[in-house]
Amino acid sequence: MPGIRAAALAAFLLPAAAETQELPVVKLFTTGGTIQSLGRDRLKLAEYREGRIDGQTIVEAVPEASRLARIEVEAISAVSSTRMGAEQGVPLARQLAEELARPEVAGAIVTHGTTTLEETAYFLHLTVRTTKPIVVIGSMRPWTAVSRDGPLNFLGAVRTVLTPEAAGKGVLVLLNDTIHSARFVTKRHTYHIETFVSPDVGPLGFADADRVVLYRSPVTRHTADTEFDLDGIEELPQVDVVYGYQEASRAPIDALVKEGARGIVLADGSPAYRNAVLEAQAAGVVVVQGSRKGSGRVVLSDRTAARSEITADNLHPQKARILLRLALTRTTDARELQRIFNEY
Amino acid sequence: MSTERAFATAAAALLAGATAAAQEIPPLPPPGIDLPRVVLVSVGGEIATSCETSLERVGCASGGETFAPETWTRDLPDLGLAARIATEDLRAFSRPDGSAAPEHWFELANRLRHLAEESAVDGVVVTHGAAGVADTAFFLNLVLPTRKPVVLVAAQRPWSAVSGDGPLNLYDAVRVAADPAAAGKGVLVVANQEVHAARDARRTNFYRMDGFGSVDLGPIGVADPDVVRFFTEPTRRHTHGSEFELAALPESLPAVEIVAAVPDAPGRLIDAAVAAGAKGLVVDGAAGLSGGQLEALRRARDQGIVVVATSATRGGRVPETAALRDSGIIPGDNLPPGKARTLLRLALTQTSDPAEIRRIFGEY
Repeated sequence: MPGIRAAALAAFLLPAAAETQELPVVKLFTTGGTIQSLGRDRLKLAEYREGRIDGQTIVEAVPEASRLARIEVEAISAVSSTRMGAEQGVPLARQLAEELARPEVAGAIVTHGTTTLEETAYFLHLTVRTTKPIVVIGSMRPWTAVSRDGPLNFLGAVRTVLTPEAAGKGVLVLLNDTIHSARFVTKRHTYHIETFVSPDVGPLGFADADRVVLYRSPVTRHTADTEFDLDGIEELPQVDVVYGYQEASRAPIDALVKEGARGIVLADGSPAYRNAVLEAQAAGVVVVQGSRKGSGRVVLSDRTAARSEITADNLHPQKARILLRLALTRTTDARELQRIFNEY
Repeated sequence: MSTERAFATAAAALLAGATAAAQEIPPLPPPGIDLPRVVLVSVGGEIATSCETSLERVGCASGGETFAPETWTRDLPDLGLAARIATEDLRAFSRPDGSAAPEHWFELANRLRHLAEESAVDGVVVTHGAAGVADTAFFLNLVLPTRKPVVLVAAQRPWSAVSGDGPLNLYDAVRVAADPAAAGKGVLVVANQEVHAARDARRTNFYRMDGFGSVDLGPIGVADPDVVRFFTEPTRRHTHGSEFELAALPESLPAVEIVAAVPDAPGRLIDAAVAAGAKGLVVDGAAGLSGGQLEALRRARDQGIVVVATSATRGGRVPETAALRDSGIIPGDNLPPGKARTLLRLALTQTSDPAEIRRIFGEY
């Protein structure tokens, strides 16, 4: 019995040279984050330096992946997710579109730090015109940690990319065997393995040990069906988030308007915001009402409609910001902007 | 949305202005506005039950009675804002707990199929006891060949209860059934302002307001105060995409029993089920089967009985492991035992080939 198992395992692990030529190509774009990090020792779960491990190291650590696909690695950056933004996101989106247009490429994987992973994933979900799977992964534990999750997240992503049902479902986020839509996913814990959740709707499926299953398909617009176009866009409009809390001052709104922000997303509000928002709107700044609560839609009431406030649906403020930046490349009309928030 | 707003406003004006008309269901539609037409079918349930006092919240202490569907339209004329309503009383199909009795499932399905085929019907709402709503919904999801919205709705509290959830659930169910976006997504279950897909809907709590959930996944949409909004749709086969043809199904489905895995059970229940004529078995918690149960299952399989395993964890799929494959047990995906039993009964009307049944559990 152990002999048989070892033989089976060897057959699984060792790629036959002839076969490799036939394998589909999966692009691996690396941006950094915990999945590419080094800690001083294997018990350093929360202290480490991001971006010190390259994509090839990940590929080599999981030889099973190369049995399934020919992995082509491309480094975009090597930073923690808090340093990520349009500066990396726009070229990444362009490169993804270009590579996914190659017929032999089955799909793409993007590594990313976890804190803002959902923002880049949603940006790609809104801008990359493709039906091929794009899976964004990260890890909660450094590459050097005991019980690290990075390798399995990577293998799960390769298997997901190669699953026919993953096509046309937009950008997917995979950690902890769970497949989420970029539209709904968010990070809910600072360091646990079970951290990424999709409030209100739940995940789309799972990369289980025996099979990748996708039970759900998002019905909001994305990827192949997007109206946003990065062609000819040099710079995205500035949009910031203002957090509401008791006795919050209007100073942040005033400062952002002065700084030239084109849009502001409110995460709930404060009485002091009322006049600041009116003045901001009068100065041509678009204000979107979001919520800091983490789940549930901002319901469109007669009052908000009358004030021509735009509501963020159930997008978290940080994602409403991404959508508003893209929307402002198309229009500043309140009704059009609300349509966009209803559809994406 | 602007259309929805327009006719909500117009209908509200109609209700406010003409009290006589407000009692009419369907209301006179305002000029130029065609409200969707929804049939409200009562199978009964807490949502159709009045207790003696409003403080009876977990069923009625004594003398609770179900009422005819007209009571809803009288108590809740607001339904007329969302749709033109016709009612149908099928309480005769229900068990005492208000759930559709399985011996009436075919009659219910046939009647719903007929209603859905009517060109004058845009959607159907079925009220149902909370206990069995997820099971009935899953059966209908597998056999109703329609793309029109069929929405099952239940309440955790009796209609007469203080802060009862019945009225809002009923109103929301009608809004969902009237929403064109609900079409083609399979049978839906609406409760607590959430829209669940029948396959994944489960009752997760006996009496609290958040009594329904979609385990592993989540609701596919919400019935919010402003709009009904769908976020996702199910990818597993259902309704119009199902291979189970209602008209071709036998009058009684093959017998399938559910057996719980128990670490020291002798396996007699399995032998008894087979002796009583079971064609299939659902084993809940396959990892915990006793030696005696495994032997009894082997005997059953030798007689051609199909065995499906579900997970007693009530979350997560049963993965296809080598051990399961070797023992010839078919993984029940992430279905709870009751739903796995329904799917296996339907599958056994088509085939007893384990490979085919394995396919069916992977596709539905």
